[in-house]
Amino acid sequence: MKTNFSKEIIWHGLLWLAVVVMLWPVVFMLSTSFKDLNQVFTATLNPLPWPPTLNNYLLVLEDFPLLTYIWNTLKIAVGVTLFKVGTSILAAFAFVYYSFRYKEIVFNSMLLTFFIPITVLIMPNYLLMSQLGLLNTTLGVMLPGLVDGMGIFLMRQTMRSIPKALLEAAVLDGAGPWQVLTRVVLPLIKPSVFSIGILFFINSWNEYFWPLLVLQDKANYTLPLALQMFISAEGGSEWGIAMAVATLTSLPPLLLYGFCQKFIINTFMQAGVKG
Amino acid sequence: MSRNNRGAILYLLPTAILFIVFYYWPLVQNLYLSFFSWNMVSPTLKYVGLENFASVLQSSELLKILLNTCVFLLIMLVLNFILPYFYAYILGHLVHHWTSFYRSALFLPATLSLAVASILFLWIYNPLAGPLSIILGWADLDSPRWFKENYLVIFAICTIIGWKVFGYNLIIMLAAMVAVPREMIEAAKLENASNWVIFKKIILPMTSSTAIYVFTITIVFGLQYVLVPVNMLTQGGPNQGSSNLVYIIYQYAFVFFQTGKAAAYAVLTMVCYALFLYVKNKYLEKKVYYEN
Repeated sequence: MKTNFSKEIIWHGLLWLAVVVMLWPVVFMLSTSFKDLNQVFTATLNPLPWPPTLNNYLLVLEDFPLLTYIWNTLKIAVGVTLFKVGTSILAAFAFVYYSFRYKEIVFNSMLLTFFIPITVLIMPNYLLMSQLGLLNTTLGVMLPGLVDGMGIFLMRQTMRSIPKALLEAAVLDGAGPWQVLTRVVLPLIKPSVFSIGILFFINSWNEYFWPLLVLQDKANYTLPLALQMFISAEGGSEWGIAMAVATLTSLPPLLLYGFCQKFIINTFMQAGVKG
Repeated sequence: MSRNNRGAILYLLPTAILFIVFYYWPLVQNLYLSFFSWNMVSPTLKYVGLENFASVLQSSELLKILLNTCVFLLIMLVLNFILPYFYAYILGHLVHHWTSFYRSALFLPATLSLAVASILFLWIYNPLAGPLSIILGWADLDSPRWFKENYLVIFAICTIIGWKVFGYNLIIMLAAMVAVPREMIEAAKLENASNWVIFKKIILPMTSSTAIYVFTITIVFGLQYVLVPVNMLTQGGPNQGSSNLVYIIYQYAFVFFQTGKAAAYAVLTMVCYALFLYVKNKYLEKKVYYEN
């Protein structure tokens, strides 16, 4: 394609401006986490702390049960992801494979849950968890998150891309619904399932509000909740340590994004166009 | 394909149960709780009829909350809807180099936790020693106390959300942008149409369905995203200056322990949301171009 680069320069300028605004806080978080107390305040804007120090990381590891927090977060995120992928696949399959009465209504009512604000749900759900004795437990955090209207929508979108003829051929060969799902549908949409799974994992890993209510005991905290402990009333001076915890919290999403960004972005680009 | 109600039910059952228990039943329970006075601990609920609604609707607090909510929404619409819209146009049609780099870089903050974003910006906005105060210092400006002043606090919080959500909305808009047939744009260019005219006459109408989707999620999710920085950094303060229709429910339930008023606010919020979605479906969606 023949294009005149100089004509585009202003647009590149605007894009770079946005890139700087988006990435600077991340660079800043990383660099501050390697600064000692002195550097935090004397070399605030310097992105390359010299000499870099690991003290912040060592300090948090020593003074806080950080590994426990990591384990708590991981446990919840993996559990939620696996289960949610499962429920989304099953429900989406029902909508693609079967035609039944009130299908549209059922689908829309599942999709609508996506729009219910979380604070509308938290009080009744909190009371329910307390009745079930699930406050302060991993299960209590996970339960309401095991279904996702968006997940069902995304799965249905990908399953719809499979040619009907393929499914029909399988049925003619005598395959029941379960075989159609496991032998035909799932192998074909594996990449999408994988990337939707990654999205679920990242979302669950990052979650703050519901875990905050359910997990009262500090020993059960997840990483995003632990971050709260580093906000003292006036900020204090522990910025290096706070940024070290923030960096550790961000590491899994960043790594996953680094390795699978094509997958993730493509899933969004496909899903974004409404169906 | 297959007409078999019973089969479908089997696959839908786990999802349906979870949705009913954790999403639809709570709506009913909110309505129930809104007729009682309770503090979550006492063994008995006291029936008060419509008193909770009356006291919510008559309070001057409601006005402030609604005003705050509007300010939140306006700023977020600029940062998370209008801005990504233009950027998606630039990225999708006006530049032809490094596009995948821009895409990846701009999307990156969307993968991070709002808790991380909140603590990051708390330091960036720190009025005494934070990086922004230093940069403002170069221009001889004093840093305002971002999280302590009315309205400024809303702006500051919206920038946190903007930072996190911009890339996500950009990608969704971009998908719609690149779906606009190139030939149409090339043809317009041959007739010497300016970028602005192309945007107005071709892009805007052809991407309107996605635009409305992004508009909707900006409003519906925006207020929910706001919860995290508000709760971490201001707890609704200063003097309820950063509270809003969604956060106030949490405050009444878990800070003031007045379940009745919390439930009344929850019912009110749900009505607002339902109204918004209804109006959107009825009026906005009709004016929209759908490809299929």
